[in-house]
Amino acid sequence: MTRALHAVQVDSHGRPVEAFCGHCGRPPEASEGQPASRVCRRCGLGLVLQAPKGIAPQAGEPFLVVDSRMEVCAVSRKAEDLLGVPETRAVNRHISEFLIPAAAEASKPEDLLSQLVVAATSEEDAHTVVVRPVGEFGVRYRARIGPCGPPRAALVVLGE
Amino acid sequence: MRTLKTSEAAALLNVSPNTLRAWERRFGYPRPQRSSGQHRLYIHGEVAALRDALQEGLSISSAVSRAREALTADTDSLVGALSSFELERADLAMEAALALRSLERSVEEVLLPTFDELSSRAGVDSAPWAFAARWADGWLRRAQRLSPAPTRNVSVLVGDATRDELDPDALAVRALELFLARAGARVLSLPVTGVSGLADVLEAHPPTFVVIAGAFVPDDHVARWAYQARSAAGPLPVMLFRRPAPSGSVRATARALPEGPFEAHRLALGALDETPAQKENRFQSGARRVTAARRRVGT
Repeated sequence: MTRALHAVQVDSHGRPVEAFCGHCGRPPEASEGQPASRVCRRCGLGLVLQAPKGIAPQAGEPFLVVDSRMEVCAVSRKAEDLLGVPETRAVNRHISEFLIPAAAEASKPEDLLSQLVVAATSEEDAHTVVVRPVGEFGVRYRARIGPCGPPRAALVVLGE
Repeated sequence: MRTLKTSEAAALLNVSPNTLRAWERRFGYPRPQRSSGQHRLYIHGEVAALRDALQEGLSISSAVSRAREALTADTDSLVGALSSFELERADLAMEAALALRSLERSVEEVLLPTFDELSSRAGVDSAPWAFAARWADGWLRRAQRLSPAPTRNVSVLVGDATRDELDPDALAVRALELFLARAGARVLSLPVTGVSGLADVLEAHPPTFVVIAGAFVPDDHVARWAYQARSAAGPLPVMLFRRPAPSGSVRATARALPEGPFEAHRLALGALDETPAQKENRFQSGARRVTAARRRVGT
């Protein structure tokens, strides 16, 4: 049996990272013989981002990218469906217009925001916050929050 | 202004031509012009701004937003130049805008928004407004003088119903005239207050259609002028630009054009293409109709 070797990308701390498209969420297509492009060659509608393994979205998981000013920078296709807003209308708007904390024990909006600030500015590990879409009740998502980039930002992956 | 074919723009952005067309549909950017053969022509400055923004962006949407912001810097620059009464700097700001856009878009996206900003800052009856408006009027007239000779068999009579060059609508009217001229039409602009001798002018320059532009001159004066024009040139399509539709019979026949001069010039010329047979008839009989109409009214 033969095993193919492949390079594992790591971040500045030596942790393995995964690349994914900021729109379709899939890993980038190999581009042999072509110059590397930041634009996803599969869907053409997202930029290729990186996040630590375990934080990066898995197949079908909706997610958002938020910068250190708490403004939405990217919304995946699945998250567009989930939140009912296209990315083109969501960018440059504050995250609190779309998501707020849903857990009673951690219900202050600052908790979500502080987690996002930490993720967007420091190297701390992922945190989980229970959130719900603004204006929706009875719908909750376990949001996995961690760093992503480049440039540096916070990734919010919405899980069940 | 440097333009790029689809393949060249795609190569600069390191994406496929299909991706570029998908961005145009989804983000409305970059927005290509069309060549005479209807092929897409991208403005180099727009594509370069997007390429730079993509390097720093987290999504295509945010990169497009950043690229658009970079382009609006020209408006800020022109507002700053005119607010500090520096005409040379204003000329340079328009030069910079023209490096990134077509003349039409430079006027519509930089020059006219600048005057929206100036009017809200100083008011349209102020000396700073007059200073800036005179400069812009001169700039637009100079651009029209430099337009290529007419290439279409279309002659537009613009009935100017603005007060003067300081009227808030006057720049948009000048812009419309410029766009029509650059689209190959012959443009004749006359104030609607001058009725005497109108028939003589229209005999020399038989119009294909009439645009009544501006809202300052009252309806009864405009009606008198329009009657004289119709008597001299026969029944012609009448369009209204930056003027509310009057009450009475004219309302049924006059077509209101959009507020933006680019869209207005496109629709005005497009309207002529709606009935090719009528258009052909109009072109051939334009001069004959003027003479016959004059005979009817005994002028």
